[in-house]
Amino acid sequence: MIRRLAWVEWKRVMRTPLAWVMLAVSLCLLSWQFLGTLEAFVGMQTGDRILGLTHHLGLQLFGLAAVVLFIITPILTMRVFSEAFRSGTYTLLSSSPISVSNILLGKLFGILLLQLPFVLMPAGLSLTLTTGTTLDLGLIAAATLGLLLLSALYTAIGLYLSILSENPAVAAAGAYGILLLLSLLDQHTASGGFLHWLAWPSHYLNLQMGLVHSSDIAYFLLLMLFFLGLSYHRLDQRRCG
Amino acid sequence: MSTLLNAKQLQRSFHGRPVVEPLDLQLSTGDILGLLGPNGAGKSTIMRMLCGDLAPSGGAIEIGGDDLLQRPLPCKRRIGFLPERPPLHQDQTVDEYLTDCGYLRGMDRSACKTARLQSKQQCGLESVGSRLIRKLSKGYQQRVGLAQAIIHDPQVVILDEPTDGLDPAQIRQVRELIRSLAETRGVILSSHILPEIQATCNRVVILQDGRTVYSGDLSTPASPCYRIGLEQDPDEVLIAALSPVTSVERLHTDYFRVTLKTGANPSELSRLILEKGWGLIELTPETLSLEQRYLQATTGGES
Repeated sequence: MIRRLAWVEWKRVMRTPLAWVMLAVSLCLLSWQFLGTLEAFVGMQTGDRILGLTHHLGLQLFGLAAVVLFIITPILTMRVFSEAFRSGTYTLLSSSPISVSNILLGKLFGILLLQLPFVLMPAGLSLTLTTGTTLDLGLIAAATLGLLLLSALYTAIGLYLSILSENPAVAAAGAYGILLLLSLLDQHTASGGFLHWLAWPSHYLNLQMGLVHSSDIAYFLLLMLFFLGLSYHRLDQRRCG
Repeated sequence: MSTLLNAKQLQRSFHGRPVVEPLDLQLSTGDILGLLGPNGAGKSTIMRMLCGDLAPSGGAIEIGGDDLLQRPLPCKRRIGFLPERPPLHQDQTVDEYLTDCGYLRGMDRSACKTARLQSKQQCGLESVGSRLIRKLSKGYQQRVGLAQAIIHDPQVVILDEPTDGLDPAQIRQVRELIRSLAETRGVILSSHILPEIQATCNRVVILQDGRTVYSGDLSTPASPCYRIGLEQDPDEVLIAALSPVTSVERLHTDYFRVTLKTGANPSELSRLILEKGWGLIELTPETLSLEQRYLQATTGGES
């Protein structure tokens, strides 16, 4: 049933111009960044090349992809529950033979399915270079995994905010607030502290550089599960409260 | 007739304030049960509890023998629900929307297509399948809501104000649809419009402030009262002396209101009147109209 709901959610959004406009804009931005990175690398003197081309792509192209995901995720998630509560379409799900956890996971995977092209876009652009040069495919795979985990975390946060408010704009604003906070927490906190650990940039940076630490993967999964847990509690509360 | 739905001591409160006080409901195949009451009486809350959208604060709901709270998924497969505001995705076409609804109720692709065609036909939507829902009139949108409630062929159909916003011709069509649905299913519908319940239902529960103030069968007379018209004008005492009669009241010349003993048959009364040669010209059961019951129940006033 999770697969069915995810498929329905994906189809519903893909029928609107929003998804296509975002895909087109993202492709333009990432292509621009890709070409810029490539041009800058080609223009460098051999002695200045401290990092390889794949590292440059990992930092700059996958860095911009994380920003793109940061911007589009709350736009994709803001309507998922808030609009459904407001228009009454949530009743369609709550009276159908689908459990609350499956509703939540179905929506999560539906949004992740929508984000998949955004997640794979930098890897796709990078792989076009394999005909002319040798790339560190492991690094590209690690950075793509990082992007996937980041999009899952963003989505879990966006869905939670969407459950909290019946107003999509408020849900989006709340999601941007939390995402920004999680981006900035490492800037004025002691390294090694809990608040510092809570910020995602350092965890993502490791993956961008091709370093796959289980602690970084656990960070993304734990935080995602935390927000999914809150969402489940809130949805169940809505039925029982 | 098998019992499709059985709710026992169903109750619900919001923030400690009781919205539905303990209520017993039973629904069998062929039943059209009407929930009647003014706005805020608790009709929608009861319906949301029956379809699993809202958890009750107390009591139990059995659907097709399964407990809704313990085994919600098989129970929900047996329910079709049309809320007060139809749960429509405005940016989809009717066909896309109904296909998704069938898909979410666990139907496979081919079954979905067949069910979609059938529910569209039942709800008169054949001509608008490819149109966007937001471009449809309110009446058509209501019909799309009805179609999604029956697409998976549920045993229990729960309809919250199903004729709201429809024109008289559409109302008639929806009533016919509800009657045809009830041939093989049980239907629960709510309304605050008396004639709506009267025209469609065979049983009614009247609600006031979350309490059940009347529950009964619409097709059975509520009291053993008969209005009789006689060609002769016998004395009331003579009529009261007839064996099945307990009391007589003269309405006007030649017309009387007769109350029969419990279990007495009106055919016995007519036979005795004919034997006396009083010339029976009218024998009409005097049932309380639903409006009288509704007013009695909700205001306590005389009808």
